[in-house]
Amino acid sequence: MKTVGAIVAGVVALFLTIAQFGTAGWTRPPMLNQQHGFRGTGMDVIQTKAGAAEIKAANVAPVPADPVEAGTDKAGAVYENVKVLQDLPVEEFNRLMVSMTEWVSPQQGCTYCHNTENMADDSLYQKRVARRMLQMTQHINTDWKEKHVGEAGVTCYTCHRGNPVPAQIWFDAPSPTRGFIARNNGQNLATPSTGLASLPYTYLQDYLARPDPDQGAIRVNATTALPESPGKPIQAAERTFALMIHMSESLGVNCTYCHNTRAVAEWSQSAPQRTLAWHAIRMVRDLNANYLTPLTSVFPASRLGPKGDAPKLNCATCHNGQSKPLGGAHVVEAYPELAVAPATTSGPQGVPAPAAQ
Amino acid sequence: MAMLSFERKYRVRGGTLLGGDLFDFWVGPFYVGFFGVTTLFFSVLGTALILYGAAIGPTWNIWQINIAPPDLKYGLALAPLKEGGLWQIITICAIGAFASWALREVEICRKLGIGYHVPFAFSVAIFAYVVLVVVRPLLMGAWGYGFPYGILSHLDWVSNTGYQYLHFHYNPAHMLAVTFFFTTTFALALHGSLILSSTNPPKDDNVVKTPEHEDTFFRDTIGYSIGTLGIHRLGLFLALSAGFWSAVCIVISGPFWTRGWPEWWGWWLNLPVWR
Amino acid sequence: MAYYQNIFTQVQVRPRVPEHGIPVAVDARVGRPFNSYLFGLIGNGQVGPIYGGYLGALSLACGLIAFEIIGLNMWASVNWDPVQFVRQLPWLALEPPLPKYGLKVLPPLNEGGWWLIAGFFLTASILLWWLRLYRRARALGLGTHVPWAFASAIWLYLVLGFIRPLMMGSWSEAVPFGILPHLDWTAAFSLRYGNLFYNPFHMLSIVFLYGSTLLFAMHGGTILACSRYGAEREIDQIVDRGTATERAALFWRWTMGFNATMESVHRWAWWFAVLTTLTGGIGILLTGTVVDNWYLWAVKHGVAPAYPEVFGPIHDPLKATGATP
Repeated sequence: MKTVGAIVAGVVALFLTIAQFGTAGWTRPPMLNQQHGFRGTGMDVIQTKAGAAEIKAANVAPVPADPVEAGTDKAGAVYENVKVLQDLPVEEFNRLMVSMTEWVSPQQGCTYCHNTENMADDSLYQKRVARRMLQMTQHINTDWKEKHVGEAGVTCYTCHRGNPVPAQIWFDAPSPTRGFIARNNGQNLATPSTGLASLPYTYLQDYLARPDPDQGAIRVNATTALPESPGKPIQAAERTFALMIHMSESLGVNCTYCHNTRAVAEWSQSAPQRTLAWHAIRMVRDLNANYLTPLTSVFPASRLGPKGDAPKLNCATCHNGQSKPLGGAHVVEAYPELAVAPATTSGPQGVPAPAAQ
Repeated sequence: MAMLSFERKYRVRGGTLLGGDLFDFWVGPFYVGFFGVTTLFFSVLGTALILYGAAIGPTWNIWQINIAPPDLKYGLALAPLKEGGLWQIITICAIGAFASWALREVEICRKLGIGYHVPFAFSVAIFAYVVLVVVRPLLMGAWGYGFPYGILSHLDWVSNTGYQYLHFHYNPAHMLAVTFFFTTTFALALHGSLILSSTNPPKDDNVVKTPEHEDTFFRDTIGYSIGTLGIHRLGLFLALSAGFWSAVCIVISGPFWTRGWPEWWGWWLNLPVWR
Repeated sequence: MAYYQNIFTQVQVRPRVPEHGIPVAVDARVGRPFNSYLFGLIGNGQVGPIYGGYLGALSLACGLIAFEIIGLNMWASVNWDPVQFVRQLPWLALEPPLPKYGLKVLPPLNEGGWWLIAGFFLTASILLWWLRLYRRARALGLGTHVPWAFASAIWLYLVLGFIRPLMMGSWSEAVPFGILPHLDWTAAFSLRYGNLFYNPFHMLSIVFLYGSTLLFAMHGGTILACSRYGAEREIDQIVDRGTATERAALFWRWTMGFNATMESVHRWAWWFAVLTTLTGGIGILLTGTVVDNWYLWAVKHGVAPAYPEVFGPIHDPLKATGATP
């Protein structure tokens, strides 16, 4: 009996060891050296050359559509029911529509959004969502240009990558367990959203869903050496830590990309990227609160989360494992119409009520 | 010369590895030997360079002195003296001094006719150091991955190098190393306590106790006593394991794992039996 | 060179009748001793007997209750799915109460009540075990060094789970019961309080932790190296020094110019190990109560090094826009 037990234990241990070596995803040198602070502080981005090449290959910006010669006819005059790009020459408009199809629904084609018998028809929810997303893209490329996206800008492809629904979206996490048994505090489950740490997985809805009235919500460090006022609980630090892990993994970097972790809170010791990231948090909140959440009623139930909330975006939606989405390509240059201020900033209420099906 | 009452009879010639009788002598309580000379050479040179590095640095504050490795751009080449070259030479001196010290211990063991356990144990510590400042930088492709020489600056390096992997506590080898450190300390507390409690009995019972009492105490309390010889084997094993797994936990971070350590646990979650 | 370094016991000597132990006034020893070949390779082959007694039984019972409460709560948190329980076990935890409950003695069971009950039983178990160690030492006429060393570890445990939460005014400050969650807590604790590496008592604790490991390697190595002269018979060597002690002492004297004695090395050992948790506990107790940000504390006291600026000056955007933090 004892022998059998020993053999079983040995076999299980051997199997687990092999599984661990085989499936954990170990890498090997050569490494790409990327220093991100004073020498010897350990502020470096850690990547293997192969890993960096793989991520680069997985994030190639699509070739822009050939330029067209713009005429004088405006899309708003030629087509019916054009709400966002009325002032665009019709040739440019058609070019963008073709590009959008390639970016968002290459398999499904125009019919993903349009009723081909009447292109002006708004009956498909996809079209109503797409219209709002166009406004969002314009909003990002203008209002967030200076603070976050810069000259690179974004197009539909930055998030969609050829998928009707971007791969990297998120919904509100299901409510913590209830009843006689202990709540799990919204943490302590093996979930990819926390990079498999047992940290709180509700941080996205806590910090990225809406503009936070408390701009210092993410900050947990005391600003004085000695306690001068009641500080934040450790649970708050865990939520912030979870958010930071999300940001790191979304960008394929680590904590030292922005912080000298000996003093995470100190701006004077941080890298300039931290400022970009700080604005990015505000941008994501803005987009989720003003563009995606208001679409909740437009989406069919199958597109909503377990708590009936609209799909939302986070850092990974655009970045997809790279510090600069699509390798930093200036994707919006070829589509200047996506970089003009949106004609209307109203919500989806601005579009006609869903037509009867 | 400071010599213990019984020391004279142990001070005999022989047992040297190198140098024959040439360096086979003592200075005060210290045995010299060929490796004593090399130890002295490397440690004096290394210390002088550290002092030089401090002198050209911005501060003499003992906590803040920092002798940093080169920028990563120098790769595996030599760096200018004031931009990490000093760190490189000091590292060579440190390894030279440590290795000399270990070999000097070997000579002393031979002279005393005792086993080589201590120099072997020390070589595990040297191994851990060499892994940190030579093996891992070699694998990563730049000396700049070594840790800086400074009381607080090396802690900053540990902090940042840990957060390069988002949450270093999830590194399985780090878990093992920490567990071994704690267990060693726990076992040391128990062993030290037991010997002291046997040789320092309470005032009302002023008789020194025996190993039978020691065995009985641990059998009574936890059902097993490892015994007088066994505890030293266990202690040495635990201590060396702590050092060994420390070396493993850092050498896999970077060369063989570049993502957050929590993600490593994905293999467990994705085992075919429950995926 | 190729002589035996005494890593394993090659010939295991066993008494015909296993040792029952030094006679004690009240003998509650239970279990029939047996010999284990594997144990015998490294240390004593004999396993058992063990002293029963009500303190030990109570301690085990309390420990079992705590273990069950923690385990069942973990299992419940995956909706009683046995497979997920095993799969996610390292991630699961029993969390302390939320900050809103402060020091409430019994918040709702599902919001930290279970944590308090488990903590109570675990603490009871540990304290009862301490009493057991103390009583067993006294019964054998030994000094009480083992229980007092254990008390130092209990100090750290109590600081983490009881004393510091009391001083902070909230149970939520305590550590969750869980494998990975307690590691998250540790990391978050350091992040929240501005980097524990800058906590001088944390520094001391680590020095003693590493020092203990170094000491055990040195001491274990020395005794094994001198075992052919009977160095492992430490008590004999302490009261009646033999050549083993002399060689061990001279090894260190010749190596580093200083040596402990066969007894004093155990005093070094005891203090290093005991100070690890003693200083560690002080470091935790001061965190949040007396010092809120260890990095800023270190800056204030001229401890933190300054690095040359690599990037241009970076400013807090909250302050730049004139907003309130």
